[in-house]
Amino acid sequence: MTTRDPKDSSSESTKVEVVSTAPELRIGVFPCKCGKNIGAVVDIDSLAEYAKTLPGVVFVQVNRYTCADPGQREIEDAIKEHRLNRVIVASCSPTMHEDTFRKAVKAAGLNPYLCIMANIREHVSWVHRDDPDAATDKAKNLVAMAVARAATLEAQKEQDVPVTQAALVVGAGVAGMQAALDLADAGFKVYLVEREATIGGIMALLDKVFPQNDCSICILGPKMVDVAKHPNINLITMAEVETIAGYVGNFDVRVKQRARYVDFEKCTSCGDCVEVCPVDVPSRTDQSLTWQKAIQIPFPQAVPSSYFIDPKSCLGMDLIRCGKCIDRCEQEAIVSSDTDHYIDFEVGVIILATGFKPASPEKIPRLGWGRYPNVITSLEFERLINAAGPTEGNLVRPSDLTKPTSVAIAQCVGSRNIDTRSGCSNFCCAESVKCALLIKEHYPDTEVTIYYQDLRMHGKYFEDQYLKAREEGVKFIRGRVGEIQQYPKTKNLRVSVEDTTHNKLQLLEYDMVILSMGAEGQSGNFPLPISCTADSFYIESHPKLRPVDTSSAGVFICGGAESPKDIRDSVIQASAAAGRASIILQKGRYPIEALSARIMQDKCNRCGTCVKRCPYGAISEDGTGKFTVMGALCQACGTCAGDCPPDAIYMPNFTSEQIEAQIEIALAERPEEKIVAFACAFCSYRGSDLAGISRMQYPANARVVRSMCSGRYSTKFAQKAFELGAGAVLYSGCHLQTDCHFQTGNHWMVKREPRIRSWMKRNNIDDERFRVEWVSAGEGKKWQTIMSEMSEVTERHKKSQPKLKKPIAKPKVKSKPKAKPKSKTATKLKKTKSKSNSTKKNATTKKKTTGRK
Amino acid sequence: MVDNSHNQELEDLREAARPCFQCGICASSCPVFRVAPEMNPRMSVDSIITDGQVPAEGNEWLCAYCLMCEERCPMGVSLTEILMGIRNISSKEGKAPPDFVESAEALLARGCLSPTSNRSVKKRVDLGLPDLPQPDPEHVKLIFEVTGAYEVLEANRVAVKEEAE
Repeated sequence: MTTRDPKDSSSESTKVEVVSTAPELRIGVFPCKCGKNIGAVVDIDSLAEYAKTLPGVVFVQVNRYTCADPGQREIEDAIKEHRLNRVIVASCSPTMHEDTFRKAVKAAGLNPYLCIMANIREHVSWVHRDDPDAATDKAKNLVAMAVARAATLEAQKEQDVPVTQAALVVGAGVAGMQAALDLADAGFKVYLVEREATIGGIMALLDKVFPQNDCSICILGPKMVDVAKHPNINLITMAEVETIAGYVGNFDVRVKQRARYVDFEKCTSCGDCVEVCPVDVPSRTDQSLTWQKAIQIPFPQAVPSSYFIDPKSCLGMDLIRCGKCIDRCEQEAIVSSDTDHYIDFEVGVIILATGFKPASPEKIPRLGWGRYPNVITSLEFERLINAAGPTEGNLVRPSDLTKPTSVAIAQCVGSRNIDTRSGCSNFCCAESVKCALLIKEHYPDTEVTIYYQDLRMHGKYFEDQYLKAREEGVKFIRGRVGEIQQYPKTKNLRVSVEDTTHNKLQLLEYDMVILSMGAEGQSGNFPLPISCTADSFYIESHPKLRPVDTSSAGVFICGGAESPKDIRDSVIQASAAAGRASIILQKGRYPIEALSARIMQDKCNRCGTCVKRCPYGAISEDGTGKFTVMGALCQACGTCAGDCPPDAIYMPNFTSEQIEAQIEIALAERPEEKIVAFACAFCSYRGSDLAGISRMQYPANARVVRSMCSGRYSTKFAQKAFELGAGAVLYSGCHLQTDCHFQTGNHWMVKREPRIRSWMKRNNIDDERFRVEWVSAGEGKKWQTIMSEMSEVTERHKKSQPKLKKPIAKPKVKSKPKAKPKSKTATKLKKTKSKSNSTKKNATTKKKTTGRK
Repeated sequence: MVDNSHNQELEDLREAARPCFQCGICASSCPVFRVAPEMNPRMSVDSIITDGQVPAEGNEWLCAYCLMCEERCPMGVSLTEILMGIRNISSKEGKAPPDFVESAEALLARGCLSPTSNRSVKKRVDLGLPDLPQPDPEHVKLIFEVTGAYEVLEANRVAVKEEAE
């Protein structure tokens, strides 16, 4: 992916500017009583007195309800009056009110990212009600940790990017067509890219569509014409997307269009060329039930209404090899010199409607498709019963072209089977009942039996159709077909199935068997990092609340590419995707995540690990070995920073320096009693909040360090904590496999566990002192249990603490009294000031090195 | 008769049977079910799942272990393991059919189930193959002792005797 980035290079300097203009560190601390919620347990006045002694704190104000209007106004006034440049509100959880206070801070002219919170309600007063002294101590410690972190907070510019007023829709089946039409009708330019020579997708091949059994092409045809004629739609057929670069609002798309060899503006689809073409190939449209020529049109209603030449089967478009069609075409529409070519354009949003493919019956040899001519798939049946199909709508047995008198339909072929696709394919039950009704409509004397496992007639009007089928005399037998054998002479078929309602084996003879084929996913080979399920369907951003969004901003999914679905659901989802996409297009600008990782080039060893870690493809190499982060794509999970070997990735406001500062403060006193708990902002931290909201009591020795994602916790944080003598360390994230808000952060975190454990072993640290846990936002109880269990661990190991084999790498830091961090931070600050002209990155690096000396 | 190891075995079977959704592909593929309708692998699995116990009829002893059911099962259920597990549990309860008990007795007495025929001995000589080792009942006894098969056999001897009386 190439880079074109508004934030990475240009804005880095602006951000640094914001920080360096701060003359000195002036922190304001606002402890909140929250009525009695905090005030009744934590001694707020003593907390306030303590806060005044912390490094950089110039103003402390206690409030009864800081989140109320007067409380917010007081913060604003204090910022102006005392020239505060950092604000710490010691009150509830940041998930509750961080936004509120950031807005207040912004109103006072301070960058909102310079305001953070110390959670002394959910993490202190609500969970340590019975021990006010310990609660007050913990509250003080949490405020000190926040102050230590605040010292190096960075102002972040809230940015947005311009949005190109155009959309790319990939796939022109019914879903892609609907999405394209909706966006085009809303006034946006749409590029509709289709792989085949015509639009229409699978729906164009069907005869009738359930549950009303209306003619498929009769309702689809006009829509196809609308697409072709719409002034806002640029239809590109016989084409596939080759590359996509850029990010939401600004995607650079390159499409490769295959040669058509026929000028579709000249072609009148008269069909004269077909008469002279000497090559016969199996017909794609008719599922190889008949033949077609090398020059062909998929079906009469095809859009664009033009023939094309299949270069693989054509003998040669010159008079020496063949060239008959060129000779014949009066319009001179055949262009033998046509070549594949690329089309480049820019779009702001992308909708993927690449559809599914019908499951392959070849994978299930026991049902005999391919060996026995009278075993056909449901799509083959659609072509046979279709008036435009190879038999002009006469249902015949492929073996002898006679009308079948008995037909069996086998359900769940290619679905609900762990070897092919374990899921239900959603549409095939209704499809089979429709097939049965179509047979009964054309040939009332033909017997139809449906062998089903669970008949899932779940949609609107589906049950009516099922009732109609039973009234028409269709037999329904519960049991999945085990095997199909052919009588060699008659080519009739023997279906063996257990009637599971009666526990009886049925070995019945049929003239024809239709396999009700499920759907197979074909997503995943698109040139954008969008995650797919194991069976190749795109994964939505949230299964319930964001079902058409993907994890990549500005990319939406609909139709069969997301999961197998029928026409109605595809159209619904397509309109939903178009609606979501038009929100971005209509606004014209798109806000992007303010935080984004930066690579410190002087430390980077060019290993490229970060590229593999990034779930958004935001990190790329520029060809000279230099890695850069594309700011608009970065979602700030910090997984890259967590695994960076030389620690060369700077994750603003969750820097290693800030996290380590918090660890140091948390372990400044009696470290052997403490649990350092790392919790991700999306699951575990919310889980710990829930324990607070539910007033679940647990020991007061835990110190939670919050980060965006568990992928951020590098191995050295645990090592640092143990070196400082921590009693226990917890790494907690979202549940595996799929809960991670950033897709894969938790997977990378868990991969670090063995490394930490072997380090612990080498340093004689007991295994049970380190834990990796998965706590969701709903598992407050689990958080409480973990905290209680880990407290027991710290109790047990309190005495063994001095036995550390390799005592401390940096003994200087270990038994530092509380006042010490103050001086340390102060000296750090002075150095920052003196380096005000150098970049922030350099300042950080230098601060670190000086700190270690 | 029923001890903890029994319960554990049954629990393991239940675990193995849980994915089954009773589609009937196993039964329709079973060659034994075609000729002996009482032997239905789906019903055997069902009794493990829904009744939580080993079926009393003992139809699982008819299974020929062709593995067709397991090969075709859409949920990957190991039916042979379940059917064998059912046999193991019921034989420990003394419910093995008499002909199986007789076979076990014969194995214990002779050291093999079917002795090598003269024809195959002659064939081996013709082909220049070495003599097969003679079956040794002592070896089988050792195996019976180590595996606890003696107790299983004893339980079934008692049951056969009781039935005879």
